[in-house]
Amino acid sequence: QEFKLKLHHFLGPKSPAQTQMLEPWAKTVEEKSGGKVKIEIYPSMSLGGGPPELISQVRDGVVDLVWTVNGYTPGLFPRTEVFELPFIHTNDIKATNLAMRAMFDEYLADEYKGVKVMFLHVHGGQAIHMAKSEVRKPEDLAGKKMRIPTRTGAWVIEALGAAPAAMPVPDTPQALSKGVVDGALIPWEIIPALNLQEQTDYQIEGVDMTRFGNTTFQVSMNADVWESLPDDVKKAFEDASNEEWVKKVGEIWRNIDDNGIKVATDAGNKHIQLTQEETDAFRAKLEPVVDRWVKEVAAKNIDGEALVAKARELISANASK
Amino acid sequence: MDHSLFLGVVGLVALVVLIGIRVPIAYAMIVVGAVGTVALNGPNVFLNQLKTLGFSQFSKYDLSVIPMFVLMGYIATRAGLSQDLFRAANAWFGRLRGGVAMAAIAACAGFGAVCGSSLATATTMGQVALPELRRYRYKGSLATGTLAAGGLLGILIPPSVVLVVYAIIVEANIVSMFAAALIPGFIAVAIFIVVIAVFVRIYPDTAPLSGSVERGEWLAATLGVVPVLGIFVIVIGGIYAGFYNPTPASAVGVALVAIYGSLRRGVRLADYKWALLETAKTTGMIYLILLGAELLKIFMSRGGVPQAAAEMMVTSGLSPMLILILMLVALIFLGCLMDSMSMILLVMPFFWPVISELDFGMDPNDVKIWFGVLALVVVELGLITPPVGMNVFVINSLAKDVPMWDTFKGVFPFFIGELVRLALLIGFPALTLWLPHMVSG
Amino acid sequence: MADAETRSEARLFSLARSVITGWALLGGVVTLAVVVVQTASVVTGIFGAPVPGDFELTELGIAVAVFAFLPYCQLTDANVTADIFTSGLGKRTQSALVLLSSVIALVFAILMAWRTWLGAENQFDYDYQTAILQIRIGYAFIAIVISLILLTVAAIITIVESYQGVVTRSQNVITDGP
Ligand code: NA
Ligand code: NA
Repeated sequence: QEFKLKLHHFLGPKSPAQTQMLEPWAKTVEEKSGGKVKIEIYPSMSLGGGPPELISQVRDGVVDLVWTVNGYTPGLFPRTEVFELPFIHTNDIKATNLAMRAMFDEYLADEYKGVKVMFLHVHGGQAIHMAKSEVRKPEDLAGKKMRIPTRTGAWVIEALGAAPAAMPVPDTPQALSKGVVDGALIPWEIIPALNLQEQTDYQIEGVDMTRFGNTTFQVSMNADVWESLPDDVKKAFEDASNEEWVKKVGEIWRNIDDNGIKVATDAGNKHIQLTQEETDAFRAKLEPVVDRWVKEVAAKNIDGEALVAKARELISANASK
Repeated sequence: MDHSLFLGVVGLVALVVLIGIRVPIAYAMIVVGAVGTVALNGPNVFLNQLKTLGFSQFSKYDLSVIPMFVLMGYIATRAGLSQDLFRAANAWFGRLRGGVAMAAIAACAGFGAVCGSSLATATTMGQVALPELRRYRYKGSLATGTLAAGGLLGILIPPSVVLVVYAIIVEANIVSMFAAALIPGFIAVAIFIVVIAVFVRIYPDTAPLSGSVERGEWLAATLGVVPVLGIFVIVIGGIYAGFYNPTPASAVGVALVAIYGSLRRGVRLADYKWALLETAKTTGMIYLILLGAELLKIFMSRGGVPQAAAEMMVTSGLSPMLILILMLVALIFLGCLMDSMSMILLVMPFFWPVISELDFGMDPNDVKIWFGVLALVVVELGLITPPVGMNVFVINSLAKDVPMWDTFKGVFPFFIGELVRLALLIGFPALTLWLPHMVSG
Repeated sequence: MADAETRSEARLFSLARSVITGWALLGGVVTLAVVVVQTASVVTGIFGAPVPGDFELTELGIAVAVFAFLPYCQLTDANVTADIFTSGLGKRTQSALVLLSSVIALVFAILMAWRTWLGAENQFDYDYQTAILQIRIGYAFIAIVISLILLTVAAIITIVESYQGVVTRSQNVITDGP
């Protein structure tokens, strides 16, 4: 018997996310299932709707599998959001991926109703891109307009004294080049796709590649489809999404991110890695963001402090594994 | 035939049949998309997708410029901007032979610069310029033909709703698309004026001389156009200069036209009520087609149609340029049956994947922009070709004494002018691409 | 008796028409509100602080507004058709075709209203919100469901009217004459 499954996502067919992560993962599943599974990848929202609909689509069985950004639907994944906060994820994608995996059953599973999560992951993490001005301390961002990635990203911007501005990703380069925004809070990986090296002069991150928050992603399957699969096929999916795989996903996104900053520095941009002291100044400003989040999720009866503590513990325990 | 291609053909035939029996184009697309999706993947997939599909389509940020540019055009109509434009253009061109018609074209261009729709431009300018053309005893076919063609400038000169829709389908930058259409838009104005000059030289009796304008009137008329120019510079100039993206620009446009209209031109509550209801009709119609196009796209994607069609074209051995020209010719024929918006929505999901796989020796992004402007030109021709030519119908409803066929004859020289322009734009892509390069520079 | 029925039906329809028109105007007012938010954001943006959440307010506002326009579009026959093959047909046949379109619109409206209602439930159950202002998106869905119910009403009106056009053609011949 053969299982043909549709995997829907929002990036293009030639995006590194598809070619380097989703396609290899699909291939591994197919191989491990002994050819029983066939995963068809539908990029660019070609099965309809906008990126925020991906999670409803997989839950409702419109598609079988999705790769999506948790932050597209604010409010749906409040627990997993802990990994978006500044100075939770610091610089090690693998460690954060492993921590998410380790915390999943006990801490996170509740909010993934209707879907079977294959794996969660993060990318390189938010860094600062500036069109014209250098940033070395939080005060350098005072009054600057910054494009934001997620709602927690907006909090980061506010905490640093800048003004958050939401806009479609494709509008970002133009907005940067004409001064509609002064900068953006996004990872390096997006630089080549948007030609950001042309619109910006400065790329800033903390000491040892420390980032200012992150974005969480999931690859998930419709729960009914999952239940309908025979055990050996389920096992193929589980084996293809094991610890080794999320570590590999960490490596993949590290490479994509490194490639992004290389494009910028090759184009003559200034890549600033803050000193320990300078990074600590940012940390002092951003710690209240974590408190703000703890308060906010308390309204949903979530023990934010426990999540923060556990996430930090596990990320540090998994460091450079 | 390949299974997917067969599916695509069946879907297309069903669509044509439904449209042929006067089912609204949006509903025809919805029916085919829905039935096709259910046939391929069962009813649950379709029904569950409906839970959020409407909201997700209608809440797309980039689309929000459509209601706002449409509303701006309707308020501009009531604010009398069209009269100001025509009066100024007439002061400049009036004393030439055919000058009143040339003035109508120039005024259409000016109105097109603040209005995103061809029909609105044709209607508005028709109401203003037609009485004048008749007063100077211009022949019916020339008068109505000029205005039907002039209405095209509503879309050919940015802002342009059709361009927004194209940009959304192929994921192009709207600002680049607006920049790309500007120079070709001015070329259209120049060619239309040349067409009139040539036409009245051959048939002098169609356009009697109207006498010169007094100096005082000339100055007053010229100054009267300053507010329109100011609004255009702030709204569209602001987009090109990168001061804001099209959505805030369109909002500022509505605000400016409303403020000017209320304070200086006596636009009242009843006018706003009219403008809002007209906007409701125009926008609702466009968005419903967009929803239909999305359902159709879902059906086609599930059936693998776009890939199969692209594959067939790419392996056909035809040269890229020939494929492009064949597509444009197909669009001209389709334009005889359909309006421009539906056409872009209907065929771009099929045409664009093919075009994007072809090598024109250009940057892929440039191909996207260039092809969009070429497609814009040909789909607009549909508005003036028989048997269904919406602009011709609209103008004719304003000039009841002119037979429909006379208007089609009157518009024919402009049609030839458009073909000349199309050849120029195909032959010299730089005409289209220079400005967007400057803007994104 | 039949006459009284027709009259009360006519009164009901004219009430429904007013509600649908008013609802479309309300959608227009929401559009104007978006205009105000965006314009304010441009103006305050010059001084460094765009209106927070302008992006999401625009998305929600326009979606709600355009759905409010749809019943009015149905009522005023604003949806584009290609009349090329049908313009030569008799009035009665044309009415029959309008009837068919209206039935399609009715089925679509009912399906959409039903499914969007379920969508609204999901929105509240899972607590979908906007990113900055944390507005519950479910509220927008409720406004949309109301619009779709009105679209159902509008389709019923056009069905009844086109049906009358099909069956009463023979009587109208006399009154249609010069
Ligand atoms: Na225009
Ligand atoms: Na036509």
